Amino acid sequence: MEIDWSVIPSFLPQLVAGAKVTLTIAFWGLVIGTALGFLVGLMRAYGNRVVNALALVYVELMRGTPIVVQVMFLYFALPILTGIRINPMAAAILSIGVNAGAYIAEIVRGALLSIPRGLSEAGLAMGLPRWKVLVHIVGPLAFRRLIPPLGNQYIVSLKDTSLFIVIGVAELTRTGQEIMASNFRAVEIWTAVGVFYLIMTGVLSLVLRIIEKRMRIL
Amino acid sequence: MSIIEFRKTSKTFGQVTVLDQVDLNIDSGEVVVLIGPSGSGKSTLLRCINGLEQITGGDLVVDGISVKSGNANLRQIRQEAGMVFQQFNLFPQMTALENVAFGPRQVRGLAKAEAEAQALALLDKVGLKERARHFPSELSGGQQQRVAIARALAVRPKVMLFDEPTSALDPELKQEVLNVMRQLAQEGMTMVVVTHEMSFAKQVGTRLIFMEHGKISVDGEPRQMIDNPPSDRLKDFLQHV
Ligand SMILES: Nc1ncnc2c1ncn2[C@@H]1O[C@H](COP(=O)(O)OP(=O)(O)OP(=O)(O)O)[C@@H](O)[C@H]1O
Ligand SMILES: [Mg+2]
Repeated sequence: MEIDWSVIPSFLPQLVAGAKVTLTIAFWGLVIGTALGFLVGLMRAYGNRVVNALALVYVELMRGTPIVVQVMFLYFALPILTGIRINPMAAAILSIGVNAGAYIAEIVRGALLSIPRGLSEAGLAMGLPRWKVLVHIVGPLAFRRLIPPLGNQYIVSLKDTSLFIVIGVAELTRTGQEIMASNFRAVEIWTAVGVFYLIMTGVLSLVLRIIEKRMRIL
Repeated sequence: MSIIEFRKTSKTFGQVTVLDQVDLNIDSGEVVVLIGPSGSGKSTLLRCINGLEQITGGDLVVDGISVKSGNANLRQIRQEAGMVFQQFNLFPQMTALENVAFGPRQVRGLAKAEAEAQALALLDKVGLKERARHFPSELSGGQQQRVAIARALAVRPKVMLFDEPTSALDPELKQEVLNVMRQLAQEGMTMVVVTHEMSFAKQVGTRLIFMEHGKISVDGEPRQMIDNPPSDRLKDFLQHV
């Protein structure tokens, strides 16, 4: 079969629709993941032994199993265990959320613990309560160190959405496969799909680069 | 009246006893210079006063408040006892002015304009008014330490605690910090100073305490003790600083 790039416009609308689904999953998944990651990261950094252990169990559970297994569990096993059925889209968003949450938790913890103790002590020594030390001193410093690894995780999670092909979510990769099944133009389609991912991750990278430049790492 | 009272105060880290039933009263207006070999417990003694280390035995009362009487009281003590660290510990994301204004705003609840006016006056006092808008990374060590002193003073403490404030500084920068401390002493500030600067101890100190193995081994008038050490250990120690 001859390679014919002119077929790409004909399936462009489908790919755009797939990319939108991918972005939707990544966006809401990362909203959940970031919130969860900050919470669990704080638990890991400052929690007492019990709180810390709980947080660690979650992190190890998520890091120790593949995301495909996690989404399969949420989509197929959870309904059997709890009787609650969720649609594929919700399962996908939740998977990204709990999975990214674990990695982000470790990023947050690392950033918090990397801030020299003397700075917290200087804050405490003036009579500040612990939460103010966190909000005004440690937090802003940790945040600057957080951005590069956080951005990296966002890119990883965005690409992880392609694995939800296994539960039939019509995201970008799945869309590519469906088009493939009808016209067998593998080279053109997978190139186009790859370019779509590159555009999305590229924009994300660029935004991160700009934020990093704006904020001095102290 | 004593502003700081150690009452059989002990501090252990696991099995290691770092402060061993210390009894010590410090009165308002005293300038206490604390010396002793490395590991003798000088920093720990200082850090127990403002609760950065928790005491494990006895009691310790600062300005009438026990360090064991809960978090709210501890914060009260910390407002009355400012601390200056060997490594300055200025907040790197804030300018000198913001560093100094930070405490009054967050702890004493001052409005921004008022806090900054006060901060500027304090920076002037330590000779750094022109550097108010500089970040710590743009200041020399001596300048950073003077900002740190101003930052501690800004909370209006009754006592100032200094843990080797000049040890991280080059010799030519030590003096500018010691001068600020001398001025503070002349104004009547109660000070507890861990230092190896014996000339400062002699000229500014009203009391010299020599610590060994978590205990106070000699306590007396700085000039006499330095010129005629009452114990061989102190004599030996003084020869090595
Ligand atoms: N957080 C800690 N955990 C365990 N041991 C500690 C801790 N802090 C201090 N120590 C121990 O307590 C002892 C006294 O320490 P401290 O820092 O008070 O001594 P110092 O007199 O200030 O010494 P230096 O002149 O070296 O600063 C040392 O043996 C030290 O190892
Ligand atoms: Mg020390």
